[in-house]
Amino acid sequence: MLVRCEFLKILRKKSTLIIMAVSLLVTAFLFGLPVLQFQTYNKDGVLKGTKGIAYEKEQFSAVSVLLTNEYITQTVREVQELFKDPNNVGYDGNEQFLIGDAYWNNIAPREKLLNTIASTYAAPGESAGYNKLPDLDITGGGTDFYQAREDKIEKLLNTPSRELSEEQKAFWRKMNSNVEEPFQYGYHEAWTTIISSFELLMFALLAICIVLAPVFSGEYQAGTDAVILSAKYGKTKLPAAKIIASLLFGLLAFTLHIIAAFGIPLAAFGADGWNLPLQAAGTTVPYPYTFLQATLISLGVVYMILIAMISLTLLLSAKMKSPYIVLTVLVPVLFIPIFLSPDGTSGIYNQTLFLLPYRASMPEVSKYISYQFGSFVLDAFYVRTILYAALAVIMLPLAKLGFKKHQVS
Amino acid sequence: MKLQLQHLSKRYGTKYAVNDVSTVLKPGIYGLLGANGAGKTTLMRMICGVLRPASGNIYLNGKTIEDLGQRYYSHLGYMPQDLGFYPDFTAREFMLYMAAVKGLDKKEAKTRTEKLLEMVNLSDVANKKIRSYSGGMKQRLGIAQAELNDPSILVLDEPTAGLDPKERVRFRNLISDFAKEKIVILSTHIVSDVSYIADTILMMKDGRFLLQEPMATVTDCIDGKVWEIVADSREAAEYSRRFSVVNLHHENNMVRLRIIHETSPAAGAFTVPPSLEDLFLYYFGEEAQNERSE
Repeated sequence: MLVRCEFLKILRKKSTLIIMAVSLLVTAFLFGLPVLQFQTYNKDGVLKGTKGIAYEKEQFSAVSVLLTNEYITQTVREVQELFKDPNNVGYDGNEQFLIGDAYWNNIAPREKLLNTIASTYAAPGESAGYNKLPDLDITGGGTDFYQAREDKIEKLLNTPSRELSEEQKAFWRKMNSNVEEPFQYGYHEAWTTIISSFELLMFALLAICIVLAPVFSGEYQAGTDAVILSAKYGKTKLPAAKIIASLLFGLLAFTLHIIAAFGIPLAAFGADGWNLPLQAAGTTVPYPYTFLQATLISLGVVYMILIAMISLTLLLSAKMKSPYIVLTVLVPVLFIPIFLSPDGTSGIYNQTLFLLPYRASMPEVSKYISYQFGSFVLDAFYVRTILYAALAVIMLPLAKLGFKKHQVS
Repeated sequence: MKLQLQHLSKRYGTKYAVNDVSTVLKPGIYGLLGANGAGKTTLMRMICGVLRPASGNIYLNGKTIEDLGQRYYSHLGYMPQDLGFYPDFTAREFMLYMAAVKGLDKKEAKTRTEKLLEMVNLSDVANKKIRSYSGGMKQRLGIAQAELNDPSILVLDEPTAGLDPKERVRFRNLISDFAKEKIVILSTHIVSDVSYIADTILMMKDGRFLLQEPMATVTDCIDGKVWEIVADSREAAEYSRRFSVVNLHHENNMVRLRIIHETSPAAGAFTVPPSLEDLFLYYFGEEAQNERSE
C-alpha cells in the first residue's frame, strides 16, 4: 500500500512527467542520430536513409561468410590482382588506391570486410585499409589470418604503455582462447550503433535522479517531514517504501528509455547480426561474446550504475534539506568524467576514470581494461558490476537510516 | 494514560531551547503558553519524537517512547506549526496518504477521511488541489490529518496562527470535540485560544515551565494584584511609565487603565478578578506586549 502511494506520489508530479518526456525525446534523438546520419555510397553517389540501409544490407549479404584462412587468402589475392593492373590504380601522392570499376565492382561492396582484414595485419595503433592488402605475403600456403590476430593481440598485451602484469596478460589470453574461430562475418549495423552509444544513456540516468532527488529532501522542504515522521510507519515502513518505489520508478523509467534508445536503431537497421561475434567489428576484441550477449552484459552494468546512482540520490536526499543541493552533487558525479580522457588503461587515474559512471557505461570491449587484486584479475565488466552493486548495498540502508534519524528543526 | 516528560533539555549552540522540563500529562487539554522563542515548538517536536532531546526522556505509561517505537506513534496525532502539504494532492488524497502512513487499513482510511473532512467542513472541496486552499482551509486539513488515527495524544502547535477570529472560534470548538479522553497539548501565544478550552495551563519561558496549574486556579497567584484605575491622559502617561499596564481604554476624556502591581498603584485604584491574559502579561511583560502589538 505504502509503496503504491509513494510510487504514485513520484509519478503524479507534473515535473516528473515533463522531465521524463524531455529525457525520452533527448534519448530518442541521440540514438536516432546515427540512423539520420547514416549514408553509404555507390557509383551514382550518396545513398541516405532507408535506401542507404537497404543497399548496405544487400552489399553485406555477399560477405556474410565464415572468415576461414582460405577465404581470406582468396580475398587478399583478388585485391592484389586488381592492384597489379596500373589502369585500376590511383595515387594521391601518399598512397595507392583502386579507381573506377575496379573499386566500385570489387572493393566497395566489401570494403568494411577488407578493412577489417587489413587492420588485423597492421601494428597496434595503426589504421589500415584495403590498400595495405597488396603488401601481404600470401605465397606458399596463403595467409594465416588467425595467427596474425594472435600476434597482434600479443603485441597489444606487451605494449609497455599498457603496463599489464603477467597475471593480467594471462587473464586476457585465457579470455581470448574462448573466442571461436573462424569468425562468422556479416551485417551488424544496429548492434555496433547500440554498443558504441551506451554512454548516451547518462542523460536518462540524470533525468531519473532529478525526479528522485526530492523523495526525502522534498519532505523536509515542503514541511511534511514532521507529520510523516511522527506517524506510525513514518520511521519504519515509509522510508523502505520510498526506496522501493524509487527503485521501481527508476527501473521502469530507464527500461522505457532503453526501449526507445535501442528500438530506433534496431527498427531502422534491423536486428541482423545479433548472433555474430564481436570480432566481426574488431578482430582484436578478446571477449568471446556475440553482439547480443555483449549488449545484454553492458546493459546489466548500466542497470547496476542506475541502481547505484538512485541509491546515491536517495542517500543525499535523506541527508540534505533541498533537492537542489542533491543535484549539485549528482550532476558533477555524472558529468565531470565526460571532460576527462584516459591516457591509457593503467594507473590510478585511468582505472578510476573507467569506473566512474560515464566511462563505466561504455562497454569499451577492445581496450583490455582489467583490475588486479593481489594475483586475482577481473575485467571492467565484473569490477563495475561489483562496485556499483556494493555501493547500492551500502547506500540504500544509509538513506533509510538518514531519513529515520532526521531531526525536524 | 500517562505521558511523562522527565528532565527534557535541548540546546542550540549555547542557548537552551528547552531546559530541564519535567511534567506528567494525563487526559485533558493542556494550553502551552509562552512568548515566541519560549521553547514551545521544540518541546512539542520532542514529544512527537521528531527531535531528539539532548537529555531527558519521555515515557508513555512508564515506557520510553524509543522503546515503544511505532506503538507510541500509533497513539500520536501531530499538527506542526507551518505544516506543509503536497500541492498536487487533493485534500482527500492527502488524507488517504496520511492514513496509509499511520497504518490504517483501506476501509478505515476511507471512513475516517470522509468523516473528518466533513467535521472540518472540507467535504465540498475534498477533490480540489491543496494548492488552491486558503490558509484557514489548510489549517483545518492539518487538524483533520492529526485526528485520522483517533490518537490518544494530540499535539497541536499554533493551530490558530493566521486564522481570522471566526475561524479561530470554529477551531476551538473542533479541538473541544476531538479532545475527549485524550491528552491534548495546544501551543499558542494567543491567550484567548486556550482560555476557553484548556483544563490546565503550562506556561513556558526561556525553555522552562514557569507554572503548571489547572485553568480554574491558574490566576490565583495574581489575585489581588490586578488593578483598574480611571485617570486623565497626563496621569495615564505617568502610570504607564511607572507600572505594568496591561490595558488602556479611552472613555470620553478619561483613560481606564488595567495595571498589574503587588500593591495599589494609586488612590482610587480598585482590584479586579485577574484573567489569563493578565497572568500572561504578568510573566512576559514587555516581551508579550511587543508580540501583542505585532
